[in-house]
Amino acid sequence: MKLLAKKKPLKILFWFGPFLLAAGLTSGFVSQNWGPIQLTLIILGTLIIVLWLIWQNKQNNWLGQRSTQASTNALIATLAVLAILGLINFLGTRYDTRVDLTETKLFTLAPQSRELVRNLQVPAKILLFDVNQDPVDRDLLENYRRQSSKFSFEYIDPQARPGLARKFGVKDYGEVYLEFGDKRQLVQVVGPQQRLSEVKLTNSLQQISSISSAKVYLLQGHGEHELSGKGEGVISQAVKALNDKGYTTSALNLVEKSSIPQDANVVVVAGPKRSLFENEVKALQDYLNRGGNVMLMIDPDTDPKLESLLAQWGVKLDNRLAVDVSASVGLGPAAPLVTQYGKHPITKDFGNGISFYPLARPIDTNPVPGIQATPLLLTKAYPNSWAESDQQSENLKFNPESDRKGPLTLGVALTRKLSAKSEATSNSTPTPTPTATPQTQASPTQRATPTTAATPASPTQRATPTTAATPASPTQRAKPIAAATPQTSASPTQRAKPTTPATPASPTPTTTPTATATPASPTPSSTSGESRMVVLGNSDFIINGLFDKQLNGDVFLNSVTWLSQQDQQPLSISPKEVINRRINLTGVQALLLELSSLVILPLIGLVVAAIFWWIRR
Amino acid sequence: MGVVLGNIIAIYRRELQSYFVSPLAYAIAGVFWLLSGLFFVLILMGPEGILQTVTALDLQGQQFGVPVPPIDVPYELVRAFLDRMGWLLLFVLPILSMGLYAEERKRGTLELLATSPLTNWAVAVGKLLGVLTFFITMVVPIMGIETIALSASSPPMPPAIPLLGHLGLILLAAAILSLGMFISSLTDSTILSAVFTFALMLLLLFVDLIAKNIGGSMGDALGHLSLLKHYNTLVQGIFDTSSLILFASYILLGIFLTAQSIDALRFQRS
Repeated sequence: MKLLAKKKPLKILFWFGPFLLAAGLTSGFVSQNWGPIQLTLIILGTLIIVLWLIWQNKQNNWLGQRSTQASTNALIATLAVLAILGLINFLGTRYDTRVDLTETKLFTLAPQSRELVRNLQVPAKILLFDVNQDPVDRDLLENYRRQSSKFSFEYIDPQARPGLARKFGVKDYGEVYLEFGDKRQLVQVVGPQQRLSEVKLTNSLQQISSISSAKVYLLQGHGEHELSGKGEGVISQAVKALNDKGYTTSALNLVEKSSIPQDANVVVVAGPKRSLFENEVKALQDYLNRGGNVMLMIDPDTDPKLESLLAQWGVKLDNRLAVDVSASVGLGPAAPLVTQYGKHPITKDFGNGISFYPLARPIDTNPVPGIQATPLLLTKAYPNSWAESDQQSENLKFNPESDRKGPLTLGVALTRKLSAKSEATSNSTPTPTPTATPQTQASPTQRATPTTAATPASPTQRATPTTAATPASPTQRAKPIAAATPQTSASPTQRAKPTTPATPASPTPTTTPTATATPASPTPSSTSGESRMVVLGNSDFIINGLFDKQLNGDVFLNSVTWLSQQDQQPLSISPKEVINRRINLTGVQALLLELSSLVILPLIGLVVAAIFWWIRR
Repeated sequence: MGVVLGNIIAIYRRELQSYFVSPLAYAIAGVFWLLSGLFFVLILMGPEGILQTVTALDLQGQQFGVPVPPIDVPYELVRAFLDRMGWLLLFVLPILSMGLYAEERKRGTLELLATSPLTNWAVAVGKLLGVLTFFITMVVPIMGIETIALSASSPPMPPAIPLLGHLGLILLAAAILSLGMFISSLTDSTILSAVFTFALMLLLLFVDLIAKNIGGSMGDALGHLSLLKHYNTLVQGIFDTSSLILFASYILLGIFLTAQSIDALRFQRS
């Protein structure tokens, strides 16, 4: 009795061993953290078990028994086998061979995707903001991950991690983001209707990995949209989106600089309200002539004095207002909805998506040799939309004399081969083309700004003969330091080098017009270079609040991407499609199937069972 | 080596004989055929079946002039059917494996086996081969029915994918039977053995779901244990060596554990 009483508490004490061990292991695995607490628990638990075993052994020499030896052997053998099998499986997953037996290779990545992922230098991560993990999507992502350790993916519940979701600007479940270094980009939105697509994923990956912090300058100083702040008409969302895509953005004031910086990949002129000075126009022209890329967004009722430049490219701004009286979604007739897009790399993915342009002016293009113009944005056909000349009257009516029937072009994309460029074109700028004249009268905003080019040049500029032609503006005289660094255009090779990795040659010939637009260095001398221009008859569509509506942001971002000449031709990955096959059962076959599977086979089994049962009895 | 092989074959024959004269085995086969036949007919020709759905789609496409996305009907049929079969195995296989050792224990013949000159693992291999053969004879008529349906496909379907899928089915069955055999060797109650096997199978099938919630490398490792995941890989038409290795590991583990448990029995009784 005494012995039993003494033994009992010790026996209970033993259970602390496994308990502490389990607690330590569990907390370690769950928290993925093997701190002192976990280690103490594990060590304490093991110690108790070992002590108990020693004590037990002392009690009845249990270790010496044959059964103990046998079971220890068995235990060790089992553990060894488990370890070996685990190791084999580990190696098996590391060095596995997968053969896709489906005829169209449904579960295999296209060679382009594989090549791209294998050559990743920077870790790329796919973040899926969704709670449902679709097995097909997962398989696809696993396929990507198998190619490279640089690729990873994660499902994130936006409810559970709101901070991360806000960082990415997640609006809805199913949004898939690509994070590449410090850049991030929306790939697509997945849902039951639309599963993750390899085409989109690979092309986003290619795009984001090739944009090598191209420099985007946004012109300021003539009432253009402000780049930061909170006021009306600020385009900080657009600027942020550019930065997220990997562009470096900065404001450009030509009054201070007098020529476009050498590292500029794209210059954006977003809605100037006042005229540009002649030397600024000249700077833009020079920039374009040496392979630059310019985006012009010009609102109606403004005259930025760009006619001479636009005329060179065969672009003419219509001074009428584009109206759209079709039953639009409460935007009013002055904000035309665009659902038709030209065939161009900028708009190729838009389909019939919507973008809208509050107060826009139509744009005309005349064919100019050496320049290829593609209309981007088209309004609806006549009864729904036209160009209205009478903007004062309250009721909108088509006036055949002065108005123009739709469809109107609100945006064009233009390219000019630099090989076609000669000294003649670059020097022909001062000659005022006749097309420029009729428009200058109408705009009321054309106010007291001194448009005359008669201002004398600043002393610093005179010192550098290379930029002699550019007359300085009056403000320049006020602070001559600003003009102290006249950047000459002498080193054209200094331009951003194409750091894009070589794309694997796609086996199928692509028909995209960008095929020729390889990011070869756009030096003026090179024959393969070209300069690009996008002209839009509206700039308000990218102001904060409108930028993220519908496709407005995409129109802007795609334009900049195209202009930056870093848009590689999208990899021509054909979407995986199964072979179209049907089963055409004849009546006899169907009957045979039903009979054999539902009647004959089960009957055979049951009857034979009954017979044997009968025999056995 | 030859002796061991001979032993395995002897056990294998004995097992097969016991199956092919057992009314229970035939009853199981009959029920299995009925259920799988029902699944097959419903998937193919049922009111919600593939044929009906695709015909409706095709008609719609013709009416509205919308091109129907390509559908590989026989491929979908094989996938859907093998998916259901995977679930059906869950119920059928524990019944097949429950008697493997538990019955011997109950009848008292296990002592004979345990003390016989045969090695334990040879007995286990022979038994597993026997029950697997029986299972394959259950599957073959079903494959015949499938062949009738697949032969009517146009354009004809190459046999690689259905064959790989059925290989997956047999491997899955072998893995489950092997582990079920081990459980059967632990107890002398067939019911208990069936229940525990069923529970283990559910665990191994659903470990995938648990793994997804854990995430990280731990989750990956757990997810790899999932039988269903690897079965699906094969059924989809992907020949993946890591899946084959996993199935082989389960089969080997089952045989090894069975041999160990019979070994332990030898010492307990002696």
